[in-house]
Amino acid sequence: MIDVIASEWLKLRSLRSNLYLLACSVAAVLASGVVAFLIGRGFDRQTLDERMGFPGNGDGIGNGIAVAYFVFAALGALAITSEYGTGMIQTSLVAVPRRQRLLLAKVPGLAAVSLVAGQVLAFGMHLAAMAVLGDRAGQLLRDGQTLGTPLSEPGVLASVVAAGLSMAAVTLIGLGVGAAVRSTPGALVVLVVVIVALPTVVKTLPSPLRARAGSFLIENLPLQIAGVGGGALPPVTAAGLLLAYVVAALTAGATVIALKGRRIKVLAIGTAATVLLSAVPAVAAGAPGSGPSSLTWAACADRNLVKEMRCASIEVPVDWARPSGREIRLTVGMLPAVGAQRRIGTVFAIPGGPGGSGVKDLSTYAGSFAELRERFDVVSVEPRNTIDKGVLPYDCLVSGPWIALPGSRAEYAELGRRNRQAAERCRAADPEYFDHMDSASVARDMEAIRVALGEERLSFIASSYGGVPAIAYARLFPGRVRAMVMDGAASPYLDRAQGMRSHERAFGRFAAWCAADTACALHGQDVGALWRALVARADRVPVPVRGEPSGTAYSGFDLKQAAVASVVSPGPAPGYPRWTQLAEAIRRAAGGDASGFAGYVRQATGSPKVPSFTGMNMTHCLDGIRYGGYEEYREARLAGERLLPNLAGIELWHPLGCAGWPAPVVNPPAPLPATGLPPFLGVGSWTDFSLSEDIVRRVPGSSALRYEGDGHALYNSGVSCVVAHVNRYLVSLRPPAPGTVCRPAA
Amino acid sequence: MSAPGGGRTPIVIGRPRREADGREPNDEGKTVIEVSGLTMTYGGKVAVDDLSFTVRPGLVTGFLGPNGAGKSTTMRAVLGLERPGAGKALVNGRAYASWPRPLRTMGALLDAGAVHGGRSAHAHLACLARSNGIGRERVDAVLGQVGLAGVAGRRIGGFSLGMRQRLGIGAALLGDPAVLMLDEPLNGLDPEGIRWLRGLLRSLAAEGRTVLVSSHLMNEMALTADHVVVIGRGRLIADCAMDVLAGRFQAEVLVRTPHPERLAGVLRAHGATVVREDDGGLSVRDLDAARIGVLALSEGIALAELSPRGASLEEAFMRLTEDSAEHRAEYGAEYGAAPKGAVR
Repeated sequence: MIDVIASEWLKLRSLRSNLYLLACSVAAVLASGVVAFLIGRGFDRQTLDERMGFPGNGDGIGNGIAVAYFVFAALGALAITSEYGTGMIQTSLVAVPRRQRLLLAKVPGLAAVSLVAGQVLAFGMHLAAMAVLGDRAGQLLRDGQTLGTPLSEPGVLASVVAAGLSMAAVTLIGLGVGAAVRSTPGALVVLVVVIVALPTVVKTLPSPLRARAGSFLIENLPLQIAGVGGGALPPVTAAGLLLAYVVAALTAGATVIALKGRRIKVLAIGTAATVLLSAVPAVAAGAPGSGPSSLTWAACADRNLVKEMRCASIEVPVDWARPSGREIRLTVGMLPAVGAQRRIGTVFAIPGGPGGSGVKDLSTYAGSFAELRERFDVVSVEPRNTIDKGVLPYDCLVSGPWIALPGSRAEYAELGRRNRQAAERCRAADPEYFDHMDSASVARDMEAIRVALGEERLSFIASSYGGVPAIAYARLFPGRVRAMVMDGAASPYLDRAQGMRSHERAFGRFAAWCAADTACALHGQDVGALWRALVARADRVPVPVRGEPSGTAYSGFDLKQAAVASVVSPGPAPGYPRWTQLAEAIRRAAGGDASGFAGYVRQATGSPKVPSFTGMNMTHCLDGIRYGGYEEYREARLAGERLLPNLAGIELWHPLGCAGWPAPVVNPPAPLPATGLPPFLGVGSWTDFSLSEDIVRRVPGSSALRYEGDGHALYNSGVSCVVAHVNRYLVSLRPPAPGTVCRPAA
Repeated sequence: MSAPGGGRTPIVIGRPRREADGREPNDEGKTVIEVSGLTMTYGGKVAVDDLSFTVRPGLVTGFLGPNGAGKSTTMRAVLGLERPGAGKALVNGRAYASWPRPLRTMGALLDAGAVHGGRSAHAHLACLARSNGIGRERVDAVLGQVGLAGVAGRRIGGFSLGMRQRLGIGAALLGDPAVLMLDEPLNGLDPEGIRWLRGLLRSLAAEGRTVLVSSHLMNEMALTADHVVVIGRGRLIADCAMDVLAGRFQAEVLVRTPHPERLAGVLRAHGATVVREDDGGLSVRDLDAARIGVLALSEGIALAELSPRGASLEEAFMRLTEDSAEHRAEYGAEYGAAPKGAVR
């Protein structure tokens, strides 16, 4: 056999046409470079946000690979068809009468040439594409990839090497096809169909089918082998499939070349090998890390949800201390992975509030998850503390007492009495349920969902107050956390007044805007001084709300509470509608009428002042957002006054809502485990960065992404830069470099 | 040879007896080609029909038959390029394809055109040599032997048919084989080339090698072959020494005598076949002219004419094969079913 292999090597070498053919493969490098150039040119003409929506160019090989494949396949095919074409095959068979041996002896030589040339070409194509893209290659895209992926990226070296290997595989496929077809034009037609026409047809298929079929295309196998995209197959399966294609093609060739009467045997052996190669790795790879889901997914009962949302329900104990006790039913929603890429697992979106429905949020913000769904199922829950869940009366949960800053121990006790009254009113409907609204119970519900999903581990995006159940989950089940994104997440660790300093800075921006923009009703005045004077005056003599029959009047504390949401959320530039509205409200309040505030507060809450929502407090109070007593409150108030010149007191509002609460704290702030957690990613805007940052700095290896702008729950909002970084982290598990900053699209 | 409707009994002269075990004795174990009961069919048409013959060492054996008689098909069967429907074709007692390095056992030339025009003569032979573990020095030696040393580095694509024949013969000689089988090797050779090849084949046979050379022209073979195997319509027609074949057809003698009846009786009594011709002459076969003269003298019969009537070998060949040649159109159809040189 060695002699025959050496002879075939001589045959390959002694034809100059083979050298010319290999030289043609340089066209593939050219193709990669030209396409990269066109992408780069298109890229430069787009806005930053549009750029982030670009499909990545990956390792840059995909655009030229069909050219390379065709050349290599032709090389393989010609190794045998040229023998048929010239009649040389007869002479060859006289010298080597064992026909399979003759065919297979061509494999080592072709493989050697194409392995070397394939690597040279793959690296050439990659480097050409990267060189043409230049700096633009580093641009992060929404799907978490960069426009070009350099060799330093994980998996890229492997994908380039795999692309080179695939060229060797294609060479042998060409050989098999050539031996099966026995004519050069015929073989080239078949190869064009397989290498060029088939992928083109697949690209025209409707969406889920396109992705599924695309996974099986030869040109998409190298990326899948390297595990960096290309399709839905696990690396081992993709590698097995590539080998199976080679064996299948060689089987076809060996069958046709065999003498009549021996063909069945050759065909049977080859087919068995093909099946083995394609099936065994597929079975062995069998989706590690996720077992079968015990949830029954169906169309969602809520018809307002997006169509692609699937829903299931799960029963969890009301009291996790009594698992066999009474159960409640939670609705779980899923935006399933679209199947374009290999599914990594499940991302659990933890809703904020407390009291928001994750299922509704997921539906509302489905667009933000589009790229993530290439790799993940995205799941959320309508948690037990969702205010419109229906177990506790909704109207009760969305109302609550007004909070006034207690000036004395007696006033503090009085506030507690009123809070308790409001709580009891709602609690009466289902006291056991009402007493288990803590975030730790929510976290245990999430764990039950993980088990039901059959997932080994979960990745999380916790928005806003979702940070608290996320922290509870990380404490209770650290080994089940694959990744954790804290997006504007509330930190139970950070001093509340410290956490509000960002609001003071926002107030400073509001004042600066007023100074600069004539649209501000306070333009030309010292907004800070005016505000502080107004607040001080109102604390002495509350500002009445004209037209309010109940005689409602705003204290300074009420004014701050009503103003703060507008201060931190000015609305879109350059109009800043909420700042405009706020300035007008301040102007009128300074003139003795608080109806400017009461007007929009009523619009949002149905009440002329912001009520202390029982639906939020039922979770807050159990999570420990409350004072141990009047003294603790006093100290916090004094500290806040030192720290927050314009907005002091707003940090007290939530804890004061829990004064006198009828249920004890069951989920107090507690440290995260020192080991066993993966690095977290914190995300935050001007308003909430410090909170997210405060959480993630407690987990080694973590980093926080700062968004230089206003906003809250930026991932849900679909801020491209944030989506890109978060997706990148969720796929690669590597948080961005510390100090990474996102800026709003111009 | 009891093929139904075969009509003619083949002339088998000087053919070795079969041994008890049915195998041909092969001169103290020397290499032979042995075809026995070989039958090849294509699409229902019989191309080779129960053909048996043996090619012995030390001789140049001519393999003769009109175009389409099944010569190439038989040779392809010997080389394992075709699977016989029945029977077998062995080289030195084994199927050619089962020899580990077959070029060292038998060299063959089927079609001088079956080469890749893009390779040089040297590269072509080097590829073939390497596949059978034959050293490079043989390539140079063979190129010299077939007179292509001067053009060894040139692409075969530019070669004339004669040069290609020489290259093909060179390929057959690469393994220094004890058996050679050449299909129409004289095609395309110029007179000098033909003379050279005859000399080469004779010298190879003289070295004790087995040489089988096919041709559709008897005259070509007359000067080359020691022994002939003639086939027509895929069946054996003759398997005998060349001079026997020649002698057989030259041994017709025309005799004229005033007593034709008496002379015919005498000659018949001595084993001759006598045919009375229309002009009164006797056409005598199976007795040569000298013997006829002696018999006539001893019987006292006067002779008016005694002349051997010499048929040319070509005529003999035509006569031998005319039965099959009548059906040439039919063979044409068979060509369509199994084109010459096709590898199936």
